[in-house]
Amino acid sequence: MKRVTFNWDKGILVFLVLTTIVGSFVTPYFANASNFSFVIQDIGEFMLMAIPMTFLIISGEIDLSIGSSLCLSSAALGYSFRHGIPFWLCIIIALLVGLACGLINGILVTKFGLQSLAVTIGTLALYRGLCFVLLGNQPVNQMPLSYTNLGSNSIPHTFLPYVTILIVIFGAIGWTTLHYTRLGRWTFAVGINVEAAKFSGIPVARLKLALFAMTGLMAGVAGIVYTFRFASASPDGATGYELSVIASVLFGGVSIAGGVGTMWGVLAAVLELGVIRSVLQLTNVSANTLLVVSGGLLLLSVAIPRAIELSRNRRKLVSSDSKS
Amino acid sequence: MNRFLTRLVSVREIPVLLALFIVLVVTGIANPQFVSASGAQDIFLGVAVIATLSVGMTFVITMRHIDLSVGSTAGFTAYMIGKMSAHHHGLVTSLLVALGIGLIVGAANGFLVAYLRLPSLVVTLASLWIVRGVFDQIAGGDTVTDNQVPVALGYLGRHSFANIPYIFIIAFVLILVASFFMRSVRPARDLYAMGSNPPASELAGIPVARRTFFAFLASGAVSGLGGAILLARFHSADSNSGLGLELNVIAACVVGGVAIAGGVGTPYGALIGALLLQSITQALGALGVSQFWQLAVNGTLLISAISLDRYLTLRVKPTRILRVKS
Repeated sequence: MKRVTFNWDKGILVFLVLTTIVGSFVTPYFANASNFSFVIQDIGEFMLMAIPMTFLIISGEIDLSIGSSLCLSSAALGYSFRHGIPFWLCIIIALLVGLACGLINGILVTKFGLQSLAVTIGTLALYRGLCFVLLGNQPVNQMPLSYTNLGSNSIPHTFLPYVTILIVIFGAIGWTTLHYTRLGRWTFAVGINVEAAKFSGIPVARLKLALFAMTGLMAGVAGIVYTFRFASASPDGATGYELSVIASVLFGGVSIAGGVGTMWGVLAAVLELGVIRSVLQLTNVSANTLLVVSGGLLLLSVAIPRAIELSRNRRKLVSSDSKS
Repeated sequence: MNRFLTRLVSVREIPVLLALFIVLVVTGIANPQFVSASGAQDIFLGVAVIATLSVGMTFVITMRHIDLSVGSTAGFTAYMIGKMSAHHHGLVTSLLVALGIGLIVGAANGFLVAYLRLPSLVVTLASLWIVRGVFDQIAGGDTVTDNQVPVALGYLGRHSFANIPYIFIIAFVLILVASFFMRSVRPARDLYAMGSNPPASELAGIPVARRTFFAFLASGAVSGLGGAILLARFHSADSNSGLGLELNVIAACVVGGVAIAGGVGTPYGALIGALLLQSITQALGALGVSQFWQLAVNGTLLISAISLDRYLTLRVKPTRILRVKS
């Protein structure tokens, strides 16, 4: 009998379709263009940050500072705008700050040989602290409308918000890089066995440094999207985003132990969480239920594959016993 | 003499203790009020909650796991204790309920991690959200006010014995007991073996799954009762209580020499780490540095602590270099 292989990332796609169908039945407000636009806008930053985080977790590292990096680049944008720097330059500064955040994490992990979990808990506090140093307690408002409108308006003649462009571009880049290039293969190889990867000539340290830098840069991009969306930069923005991003990556079938995962699984997972949030909100279910649901889904995403694996192993064990 | 020095340096808590000493002395010279009795009292008061929770966290981190759910659990039980006493339940009943909640969360985490072998980061991240969600649902916008806090807890939170707040004494005793266990009692010592080499400890006959389960159970119980300390400390609780506390607890552990990589560290080390973080926060205030710098300084400190630790491990135990660096 041919065994149908079950992967969590296939499951999530089924799940996404199911939720969408159920959602359109339970509430008339769900399945229309304006709500769809709202959902995309809502998950924009998470999509952008989940893409590099997928690489990072597959390679066996983690970045808990991503929410703070987002906020720091947003704060840098606000700070430089407040000091009269032209707005396009502020955007470049914000991107550079994001990149720097990632590079610092990467250097600490690869050059100093520190654990990424511990390092990024440190930089989580450090970057957040720098947001307060830069902005004090005052958020920066009154940014030029021509820019911030990009955060709230849709692309002309469509219902899609502008962030869709970024999601499509970076999603495509991330997808092809992870699954069809050498860099992607390296990422998996490093995640499966660091030492073997090193001995087969993969520049592990440089690869990880690059992945951390990309994560920081994407946090910078997400920071700009975030700033435009709320038309303000505040020092306490995006608190707790790191856990949401990591959760959606794991929910998308990426193994926290590294070496396993697909980009489309992650993208579908982020979308799925956005859809669930939208359905729950539209049916007037409280935000607390959403927390419980997210937590439960996260558990299921690791528990179900494990249960299948365990039952398979047992079967294998039994069959090998009967042979001997 | 040289050997003695080497041994002394290899005690992981020494550099942290030294740093704590320097902070206290430097700040004390700059601002004599800082080293007064009330200054010390502030530091002890500020550290009590984190020190309490760090006991369970030390167990868990030592065996190369992590427990992110402690903040949610402690906040939840803080609220429950307050609410129950507002409904005229006795303190003992409320504490038992708090312990029960902690045990349930700990048992769930422990079961999933130990017996289903799921990654602890994922499991406890999920339970962080689930507990917080249930907590929010029960609490809503409701607040436990000062007059609803059980009288005994309120007293413990406000009064001191010889200038040392009672809640710090409780935390300290807990840490002493835990340190004794991790030093001299076999099941707790096994955690070190499990953290430094999981497959070897399995082969050596340590019941890894059972130990893991009970370590998480202990962490749950400690955070359940930690809610009482949290309530005593802040004299109030609402649905935001304990939010983000887990990262502070982990930071205290890591600064105090409980390595994320597992296998090393002590509960009293975590206490010193917590004291160091808290005294720096307070010292910045005493030195007139803007409060906005506090978080950034704490983050820098955390990074320097793990860098220093890494450096010392490489220097003091040259054999470690043979390990492949990644």
